[in-house]
Amino acid sequence: MENIKTLQFEKPSFFQRLKGMLGVDFYRLFHTPLFYIFLAIAAIIPALVSMGAMGEGETAGMFSNAWQIIAAFKPLYIIRDIGEYANMNMVFIFGGIMVSIFIGHDYRSGYVKQLFTTHAKKEDYMISKTLVSAFSMVCMCFTYLIGGMIAGAATGLPFAINAGSLLCAILGKMIMSLGWASLYTFINIIFRRKFGISIALCFVLGTGIPVIGAAALLGNTAALNVFLYGSSVYACLSANFLSVLVCLACSCVWAIIYNVLGSVILYRRDVY
Amino acid sequence: MNAIEIHDLTKSFRGMYALNGLSMTVPQGAIYGFIGENGSGKSTTEKCICGHLVPDKGKITLFGKPYTDAGVRVRVGALIENAGCFPSSSVYSNLMMQAINLGLKDRNGEIARVLKIVRMEDNARLTFKKCSLGMKQRIGIAMALLGDPALLILDEPINGLDTDGMRLMREILVDITKNYGCTVLISSHILGELEKIATHYGIIRQGKMIKEIAASEMDSRSRSYVSLKTRDMQTTFDLLRRVGYSVKFEEGEMRVYDIDDTARLSAFLMQSGCCLSELKKHKIGLEEYYVSLMSGKGAV
Repeated sequence: MENIKTLQFEKPSFFQRLKGMLGVDFYRLFHTPLFYIFLAIAAIIPALVSMGAMGEGETAGMFSNAWQIIAAFKPLYIIRDIGEYANMNMVFIFGGIMVSIFIGHDYRSGYVKQLFTTHAKKEDYMISKTLVSAFSMVCMCFTYLIGGMIAGAATGLPFAINAGSLLCAILGKMIMSLGWASLYTFINIIFRRKFGISIALCFVLGTGIPVIGAAALLGNTAALNVFLYGSSVYACLSANFLSVLVCLACSCVWAIIYNVLGSVILYRRDVY
Repeated sequence: MNAIEIHDLTKSFRGMYALNGLSMTVPQGAIYGFIGENGSGKSTTEKCICGHLVPDKGKITLFGKPYTDAGVRVRVGALIENAGCFPSSSVYSNLMMQAINLGLKDRNGEIARVLKIVRMEDNARLTFKKCSLGMKQRIGIAMALLGDPALLILDEPINGLDTDGMRLMREILVDITKNYGCTVLISSHILGELEKIATHYGIIRQGKMIKEIAASEMDSRSRSYVSLKTRDMQTTFDLLRRVGYSVKFEEGEMRVYDIDDTARLSAFLMQSGCCLSELKKHKIGLEEYYVSLMSGKGAV
């Protein structure tokens, strides 16, 4: 023990800590196939939906405009046909599965131990996972948009639409990615050792079934916009700047709530 | 300054106490051998120190600061249960992720440095799942060594390793404490290996520390003996007893205790006409000390 060093411990700032955690998550995201597979899935979904729209089955003729593959014309929480449901909101369903796999890998590999050993502040984990998951879903929205445009062109449906509303709808849905990402991260924190439950729950909540069910009981009320699915539907082809603000408020508020709750759980419960 | 100080640490799982008022002190610069039976609370203690488990009560300080201090924890490296690597990623990628996590500047240089320490320079591109158990353990140590850690916490790092692997691991641990001034907390069941490197020991039973002792103190307390085989064992026994040697028949062999000069004993027996066929020098080491403590006989 003759070689005892004089040690100095520099406390890293919040941004230094977050930079490290985000760096790892983005490195993982870009260096593993998971992200690219889900980008491809997001691009393929609109093509599959369009094929359904062009076919001769029950779904035939469900679209009258090519942009309906991105968003419905009106904010309808009660689903009357699949055409009002099958749009960019589906990214949030697949996004939930991706987030579950991404966070689940942290736990199954044991890498989370390295993260929690070196990061005493548990909120770093919540914030980083939320931001990276939100980024992934925004990217999926982009590939969905590209896939939707190609699929829309292939169906031969008209593209005529109010450009401002379309932009607000797309922007609104992208903003909602933050809220959805925080919800999925939170679910994966609660069920961190139960991978199957996390995926199933993310899928169910991503489909918006609870809000659709509530709409069936309460009617098509704007009060449902306080929920993530409600605001996601609100970002429709008749959206305006106010719709974007509603999405921003809803997404940010839920992101803060889920991040605070997730951090409290991580502080109070064993993490591994 | 002590690297780790724990006071009255308690942790229970569904009413079962894994740690029950554990207190321990690990001096800075020590290789602290943490010994105990399966389920005695070694891994639970290590997980509490690393922040993986939330203690019910108790106080943990690392280098004089609370264990929740971000500045201290960023200087803790751990290998607990497994290396904690992504199986489909390469050794390099796994190390790179940890280097990014720690915010290191010269990441490639750091990765090369730790790979050299664990003798894995040529295996950086290997996929983690294709590595042998020994290699995985060394990668785990490399991960823990990134970023100049002040404290290394290693849970059973030599379990499952072959003789060569154990020797290599021993060399690595001695190297990092000598050359990098790191404090090491190491738990292991392989007491013989631990005895070769540890400077301090802590013996835990049922979630409580029952003994902390420096290796030097244990050495000074330990007794040595010589086991003998002669043609006529009884005559030799009587002869040695008569001239004042502390001699006993134990575990089927004749033992002469507290012998410093075996050559002198051997010469005496030859001169006395005893035909000596075997003479072996032994030291009562960590294992015997541990067994005696566990059996409640007290220290040797």
